[in-house]
Amino acid sequence: MFSERIRVVWFGIHFFLITAVCFAGLFSLIADGATMLPSALEPNARKAEIAAAWLLGKQAGASSPARQGIATYLHAAGIQAGYAFFAPNIPSYHRLTLELFYDDGRIEHESPRLRGKAAARRLESLLDRLADERYEPIREVLVKMLALSVWRQHSDVKKIRAVFGSVTPPGMTEFEHGKAETFEPMFSFDFSLREEGKR
Amino acid sequence: MKNLQNRVDPVSFPQRCWERFIEFLFPAEDDRWLGMFRIGLGVQVAVYALFLRSDWHDLFASKGKGLVGREIGEAITSFDSPLIPKLGWLVALGRNVNMSEEAVLSVVWACLLSVGCFLLLGLFCRPAAIVAWFLHLCTAESGGLFAYGADNFMTTALFYLMLSPLPDRYSFDQWVVKTKPKNPQLLGFWRRVLQVHLCFVYFIGGLAKCLGNGWWNGSNLWRALIRPPFTLISPDILVRFKYALPLLGISICLLEVGYPIFIWIKKTRRIWLVCILAMHAAIGVLMGLYLFALIMIVMNLAAFGTNRRIGSHRFISS
Repeated sequence: MFSERIRVVWFGIHFFLITAVCFAGLFSLIADGATMLPSALEPNARKAEIAAAWLLGKQAGASSPARQGIATYLHAAGIQAGYAFFAPNIPSYHRLTLELFYDDGRIEHESPRLRGKAAARRLESLLDRLADERYEPIREVLVKMLALSVWRQHSDVKKIRAVFGSVTPPGMTEFEHGKAETFEPMFSFDFSLREEGKR
Repeated sequence: MKNLQNRVDPVSFPQRCWERFIEFLFPAEDDRWLGMFRIGLGVQVAVYALFLRSDWHDLFASKGKGLVGREIGEAITSFDSPLIPKLGWLVALGRNVNMSEEAVLSVVWACLLSVGCFLLLGLFCRPAAIVAWFLHLCTAESGGLFAYGADNFMTTALFYLMLSPLPDRYSFDQWVVKTKPKNPQLLGFWRRVLQVHLCFVYFIGGLAKCLGNGWWNGSNLWRALIRPPFTLISPDILVRFKYALPLLGISICLLEVGYPIFIWIKKTRRIWLVCILAMHAAIGVLMGLYLFALIMIVMNLAAFGTNRRIGSHRFISS
């Protein structure tokens, strides 16, 4: 009977946390104006998102034991992210093009790549994260690492220009009229062996 | 007379609700679902390791050796909590016994493949489930920048598996060491957890989709299917079905939002389950999300695929 009660309490806490995570994600989508709901709801959705985040201890200090305890449990159970996959709409995808400048004036175009298809899907996830504002502080480091991985295979390259942008595919009707995808650059970095500069 | 008394008695109603809730949480079940869950997750873990074999070191090696370096992903994870397991712990442990980072990563990969096979066969079920959960969690957290939905579902499924009352009747463990039958309520409880979890997944996923206009006019399906690197259907072929796409998009929304209701109704359970499985199979084949499709199929089959109840009364668990 005692172990049954423990299980009931665990069940309650576990699904309470899942509910908070899911609704924090859902309210965040509404607050960001990503849904077709009226924009008048956005301020309230933001408040609701903050309330859900509070329930998850995210408003507490980084060293708070409550926050760390909840975060550890969420990660251990794989419930730290909501379930709004492919929702509310499927966004544009992203592309990182590396322009390789050689000493003799040649320019080649490359992209970071992995061998297997399963890993290629993971690289797509990384590129989607790069576009996210929350990853802005580590963008340059990540792009530099990706450029370095290509550099290792082309060691005679003098300079690499990394151009990152979003690719918007044509709609169905646009495709029928022959329109191709459009690339919109978001940021670029120049890397050389001795110096690197941001453009 | 008894019914009338029940209706007017103010104390009995909450008590009755509580009892019904407990009955819902602890139905008496046999372990067929657990066998299916264990075997499915064994396949999943083995496939995960095999699919990433050629890129394992690129994904999880440290700065200067891997694609972006494991440290960045681990730093982001540590910001959430330094207690979350990560590959860095194992690499540090390996350093103490003079093992290189490369060797530790290779051992982790080999261990993941091995525990996947152990789970598949039902050999050392509980330790295998715990090791699989821990190693997968380490890789998912250290490679967090590369992670996507399939990783979270794998962690969740392995988390539930290691807590479930293993071994099941189909496992090698059970064949070698005849253990006493597992408490049917305990088996029922862990199945309930899985079932309720899936209801959350589909309801939230469906609700979020309903809020996007692209699912109502079919444009989201179009965008999903022509998105590289998995454009398995040519857009020229896809455009011929342009009138079917809105219908399919709406069907997916309704299928997901309706899951927490229709999966529980006996008459609609089978059709809902078949439709959900077909949807995941299509995601796997048409979008190349094989790992995601497989884990969702395994979880659904374990949760609602078998339907064996032991009697109608619950036993009191000790």
